[in-house]
Amino acid sequence: MMNPVSEMPLRLAVWLLLAPLLPGIVNKVKAWVAGRRGPPVLQLYFDLAKLWRKGVVVSTLASPGFLLGPAVAWVAVVGAALLMPLGPSLAGAGFRGDFLVLIYLLALARFCTAWAAMETGSAFEGMGAAREVSYAVLAEAAIIAAVLSLGVQTGSLSLSTMLAPAAGAGAALLAAGLFVVLLAENCRVPFDDPNTHLELTMIHEVMVLDHSGPPLAAILHGASVKLLLFSVLLVQAVLPIGQFAPWAGAGVLAAGVLGVTVGVGFVESLLARLAFRRVPLLLTTAFLLCLFALLVAWKGGPS
Amino acid sequence: MNPGPFLLLALLALAAGGVGGLRFPRAWLGFSLIGALAGLAAALGVLLGAPDWEWRGVWRLGGDAIHLRLDGVSALFLVLLSVVSGLGALYAREYWSDAGNPSSAPRGRAWWSVLTLSMGLVLLAANGLHFLIAWELFAVSAFFLITLDARGRATRAAGWLYLAASHAGTLVLFAFFGLLAARTGSWDLGPMQDQPALASLLWLALVGFGVKAGVFPLHIWLPSAHANAPSHVSALMSGVAIKMGIYGLVRFSGWLPAPRGAAWALMGFGAASAVLGIAFALAQSDLKRLLAYCSVENVGLIAAGLGGALLAGAGNEAAGGNLLLAGALLHVWNHGAFKALLFFGAGAVLHATGTREMNRLGGLWRAMPWTASLFALGSLAVAGLPPLNGFVSEWLIYLGLFDAAASRGEAAGPAGLTAILIATAGALALATFIKASALVFLGAGRTPATRHAHECGALMRGPMLFLGTTCVFLGLGPLAVWPAIARAAASWGGALSPVGEPPDALAMLGRAQRVLAVGAVVAGGALWHRVHSGRHRRDVTWDCGYAAPTARMQYVSGSFAGIVSGWFTRILRPARTLRRPRGLFPAKAFHLERVPETVLERVLGPVAAVFVRASNAVRRLQHGRLSFYILYVAAGLVAVGTFVWVGSLR
Repeated sequence: MMNPVSEMPLRLAVWLLLAPLLPGIVNKVKAWVAGRRGPPVLQLYFDLAKLWRKGVVVSTLASPGFLLGPAVAWVAVVGAALLMPLGPSLAGAGFRGDFLVLIYLLALARFCTAWAAMETGSAFEGMGAAREVSYAVLAEAAIIAAVLSLGVQTGSLSLSTMLAPAAGAGAALLAAGLFVVLLAENCRVPFDDPNTHLELTMIHEVMVLDHSGPPLAAILHGASVKLLLFSVLLVQAVLPIGQFAPWAGAGVLAAGVLGVTVGVGFVESLLARLAFRRVPLLLTTAFLLCLFALLVAWKGGPS
Repeated sequence: MNPGPFLLLALLALAAGGVGGLRFPRAWLGFSLIGALAGLAAALGVLLGAPDWEWRGVWRLGGDAIHLRLDGVSALFLVLLSVVSGLGALYAREYWSDAGNPSSAPRGRAWWSVLTLSMGLVLLAANGLHFLIAWELFAVSAFFLITLDARGRATRAAGWLYLAASHAGTLVLFAFFGLLAARTGSWDLGPMQDQPALASLLWLALVGFGVKAGVFPLHIWLPSAHANAPSHVSALMSGVAIKMGIYGLVRFSGWLPAPRGAAWALMGFGAASAVLGIAFALAQSDLKRLLAYCSVENVGLIAAGLGGALLAGAGNEAAGGNLLLAGALLHVWNHGAFKALLFFGAGAVLHATGTREMNRLGGLWRAMPWTASLFALGSLAVAGLPPLNGFVSEWLIYLGLFDAAASRGEAAGPAGLTAILIATAGALALATFIKASALVFLGAGRTPATRHAHECGALMRGPMLFLGTTCVFLGLGPLAVWPAIARAAASWGGALSPVGEPPDALAMLGRAQRVLAVGAVVAGGALWHRVHSGRHRRDVTWDCGYAAPTARMQYVSGSFAGIVSGWFTRILRPARTLRRPRGLFPAKAFHLERVPETVLERVLGPVAAVFVRASNAVRRLQHGRLSFYILYVAAGLVAVGTFVWVGSLR
């Protein structure tokens, strides 16, 4: 265990530098399944560097909130990531109830993204914002049920001790529920298709249609951090990360995240996007899975 | 510091304001502010460590000596009352000025002072009879303030509905205090935990105070009253007046022995209020109605926290119970601050554009930058987002519920369920306030009403700025207010051990909130600088290449809320009128949607209609024809005679 303050730069570096790798891996898996060569794994890094150098076009209707929204959303997502322990060696300074801060920081990011989308007065972006905040209701219920089951299972209310042991008897339910929430919150197939640019079928992408240059870079980078955050949460919730030696734990975590990312790639290759009216159904299923995991944790007796 | 002189000063100032307000607006403002500051000083004195203040007068009112008491709980609510009423008085000077409303402004000032004074007396009264007198005065003065501008039919209807519902609640409270006095033999109020026979009376208090607080389904009067009242009155009603109901719930759940069922009911109805209140709010297209329904949600949160605290007290889980109680009490302050801010903001919009209908607004940030940014701040706070104050109290409530759930005790299941429901309500609140602020302030103006909008003046902006700062301060420094909350919780009197030191996690939360705030400011500044130091230009919204977008193509209230209202359609029961475009050259097409106050119009309305029909039928007997009346008398005599005769045969 390192000192929480001195390990902060290291944790920040891990989150900021490794996150853009994940969308690259997903795309590589999709290309491999489709028999294509696909873009390089580091494509998002190149895109971010290019976007950061570009100029910006701002809608005539937009207020300063149009630029502040992406900035605050990025800070919120990175702040949420910093609360998440990274295996036993980089557990960070947790406190009771830090998971609630994490969940609400993600909500703050959602508020800011939706706000910036509404700035443009475009019907498309209104549509995206409406979908985003509506489906988030179900996703939030699911994720609270999931952390509740972890809390009941471990008798602890802080992320570092909650995520250290294995998820117990309900692990499979929890993993399935959290995986669906991961797909929904990160706007992957079957909820959203990050590849299409048919606005009518999109949620997250349609909200950022009018962003360009550095603000778009902040949004894309924040989205990749969020994907990494959910993958880390899923892996640590299910695997007994705390029982490994420090560096073995980091290795297991990295392997787990890689597995989840490849899984997302396969889901995206093999499934089609759902019709919008089916989205709530799938999210409700995810909520029920997490709820059953909670019931299993309750019935499992004290651990 | 003895609060007595300050309270006397507040009393005198408010009385002088009530009398002088009719003629002298400036003096009224001065008196109101003196009253507010004096009340604040007295309350803060008690919260920051002065002993409870108690005073028994020599005069008798209704046969009982006047008995006042200021302890932690009443001081907590008195702080809220002082702050909001003082700010509201400032705001009213510009919002409801003599120039704009020559006939109603003087009346409004007088009733404002009476309302403030009577709410203060409710908080201080330690005698059931005097509590009822102050309560009635409070209810009636609020009625006159709601109907200050009685020209609109909707306002008059809202006023009558408020008065009827309020009196239904007061009737229950008469029964409550009467039975309490009959069983204890005295009108004096105080801790009565040691008399288990009184436990069942708490149910009456739940109903009576629940009506005032606006707990679902007793909230029927709340949306229309808060929407139709002048905005400074709405702010006081929503920020403080419904908290008087909460005060009653807190007070008597602490003083009376609480039956287990009452605690369950508080928690259950609280959680239901939270979800349903905000679901109704999301479906509204009237800005002030939306805010009013959101109050139902927040009252639900407070009630759920209080119910959870009672359960934890009964189950010997003091740690979680203390968190819940502290969260509920802190949320009283927090909700008062951000809801008053939002109603002031809504008032500024109404003042500038003449409409509360969000579908007619849009793009107001350009004309009203102060109002827009402060409304945005209030939206973040009410949605419970870090780093503002709403998150701190919700965090405490969540943590208490999670504690109860993780302890696997008797309350574990319901506590977990309540946590999930509150999370759902939180996500819905986010959707609601994105919708409200975006429709009003962002995008393009939808109708000509927005064209001549103007920023409000200093007297309206100042109170909003103060409340916004309060929201930020309570969010960034939660430890600073902990002693006050702990003091209030200590005089609650329920089965919990006194709340002591702040939980360590609260300090960490405060630190996280401050880091977040600094990070957000730095990142916002950096991105702003990056964009403005490079190439940047303004152009029309891209809109997928469509070159001529109009303001009417923007999303409106119904379309934004459509997905969620679809899920709740069985409860919301929206009234829809749809005419689809037909043929090759469609002429007129429209879609009207209105979400009624379902409990009132679909449940109470039909029941009331049956009563009205029955009464109308009975009324036919009364027609003024003398011959029939003689017949009634004869028939009555025969009936009585037969009855007596049959009785004597036995």
